[in-house]
Amino acid sequence: MKLIRIPKERYEDYRFNVMFDCYKWDPQFLDNNTIAKYALVISKEEHEELERLTEEIDYETRKAEGILNQHLEITKTLYLPKKIKKELKIMDNYDPDKHIRLMRYDFHPTIEGKWAVSEVNSDVPGGFAEASLMPQAAIDTLGTNKFWYKNFGDILTKAIATKVVPGGRIMLVHCTSYSDDRQVMQFLGDKLKNMGFSVIYAAADHVRFLDQEAISILSGNEGKIDAIVRFTPLEWLIDIKPKHWEGYFNTTTTSCNHPIAIYAQTKRFPLVWDRIEKLGGKLTTWRKLLPETHEVKEVKNKSGYIYKPACGRVGEKISIKEACKEDEYEKIRKDVKKHPKQYIAQKQFNSKPLLSEEGEKYHVCIGSYSVEGKHAGYYARISKIPRIDSYAADIPVLIDNAK
Amino acid sequence: MKGKDIYKIWAPSEAKWTQWLRPVPFVQIDNELKINEFCNFFIPTINYIKEIPTDTAIIVDIPSYSGIKEGVALARIGFRPIPLYNGTNEQPGAMPVVDNNSIEMGLIWGAMELEKIKIENDAPPVFLLDSNRMHRFKMDVSVFDNSWDIYDQDMPSAEYFLKNGIRKIVVRGEKIQKDLRKILYKFQKKKIKILFTDGYKEPEEIVVKKPPHEKNS
Repeated sequence: MKLIRIPKERYEDYRFNVMFDCYKWDPQFLDNNTIAKYALVISKEEHEELERLTEEIDYETRKAEGILNQHLEITKTLYLPKKIKKELKIMDNYDPDKHIRLMRYDFHPTIEGKWAVSEVNSDVPGGFAEASLMPQAAIDTLGTNKFWYKNFGDILTKAIATKVVPGGRIMLVHCTSYSDDRQVMQFLGDKLKNMGFSVIYAAADHVRFLDQEAISILSGNEGKIDAIVRFTPLEWLIDIKPKHWEGYFNTTTTSCNHPIAIYAQTKRFPLVWDRIEKLGGKLTTWRKLLPETHEVKEVKNKSGYIYKPACGRVGEKISIKEACKEDEYEKIRKDVKKHPKQYIAQKQFNSKPLLSEEGEKYHVCIGSYSVEGKHAGYYARISKIPRIDSYAADIPVLIDNAK
Repeated sequence: MKGKDIYKIWAPSEAKWTQWLRPVPFVQIDNELKINEFCNFFIPTINYIKEIPTDTAIIVDIPSYSGIKEGVALARIGFRPIPLYNGTNEQPGAMPVVDNNSIEMGLIWGAMELEKIKIENDAPPVFLLDSNRMHRFKMDVSVFDNSWDIYDQDMPSAEYFLKNGIRKIVVRGEKIQKDLRKILYKFQKKKIKILFTDGYKEPEEIVVKKPPHEKNS
């Protein structure tokens, strides 16, 4: 795995292309440029290994969520938000064949020469355009045919097309006030539109459910919808008032993702693995890749552990001391003490940074997608600190043709 | 001219502060621009700043495309206008809560005006905001909520401002909106002076009160 510099004299054009042709509408975060000056090249062997591991771990996840859905007594340990917990029982009609299951597993190279998985983005993984268009923009800029990439967008839309009637109405549910959400949905929407689907950009409260079927109430776009692609996280969805969101949990309308995703989305998922395995699930790949995870109280006074919020996203509130800014570390510790069940303690892995041509060290996170159990491409970020958060830069993943 | 070309006029690569310019409205120019015939574009007279102070940045936070007009007027004095508009267009057919189309038209008009103005590459910035962005009133749940907030990550940090010689920030608006207040409070904590003007009076130094969500921190 290596970093290849986008030629300095072509970087500005590349950045413009990424913003305007690759739906990257948030190219700056505070003082940080979020479009990397590099491409990440992985070898054929690394790609094949990641592909295999992604499919193995994904099989285990989907099997585990099926078991959890039939044994709700176990889910108590997950400490899910009360409003979600109340709706779990109506998910008993969940049929994986009706819906599209999309996940992204975050892989990190370690100094021991292995992979560590830090989490699965089970509910609403993002980075769609970065994983689909940025690699081509990089290949064009580099002017080489030595690399190839897996186009995530092609794979996801193909999966959607197999489950939604031709020309069907697809609602892209997101927080309409956030352009960062819209950029993800706009990429997908434009692609689906080109395939002949009718696309509606709307918010979660624009969906009502009648006889378990989804209906749009968005002005000028009312009526039955054939599929929901949701980018509003479940923990946000349940804050919508008045409550009309429970229908998401038992709808028969094709959903990507269905709320079944919540079981693996919580970082407390590993705390129920023993019980899942007693019921026939296997989590061998998970155990191999995810650092040891415990209840907060179990690691009291032990060193080498970090705290992660159960419902955290984009690296927020993770207590990696050297990556925390100002008083952030102390604030997290305080919050962990106050709400220990809303966190987990996890053994910190040793991320192996890559060295750029200029001699700078970058930590890498390779998000590896699965769609319907099959590997579906990569979304990667690099950072000078060992926590991949909003300050990190997006980097295209290219696969080396050479053996 | 496409959105990308218009963006390049607003953000010449050799100029300072342009990395904060958001591409969102420029991208939408190519997609769904609706012509609003009632837009009235002219360059207003600026009375609250007479000359260009090198240690001062301005945030213009006034309704709709009027911020663009004022940004162009300030460009004539020597400021670099940086649009921070970040609202999206509504789903076709739906009723939006904010008119972001007029902003897009304003950016096209502004680009044509900026081409006639020479701005120094190290000119101090004037950040442009639409004060309508936080209109959250929905007469019905069926409307498309494309209101938006400005967050601290959308602007340079206090450290960056100070490192680049900016010690004062003038807010030109009707009031300090609550999203902006959170950002300004952080700047104030780092010893950047905050001044306010309604566009008529000289800017006066103000003390930004601690935003409610910061109370316990």
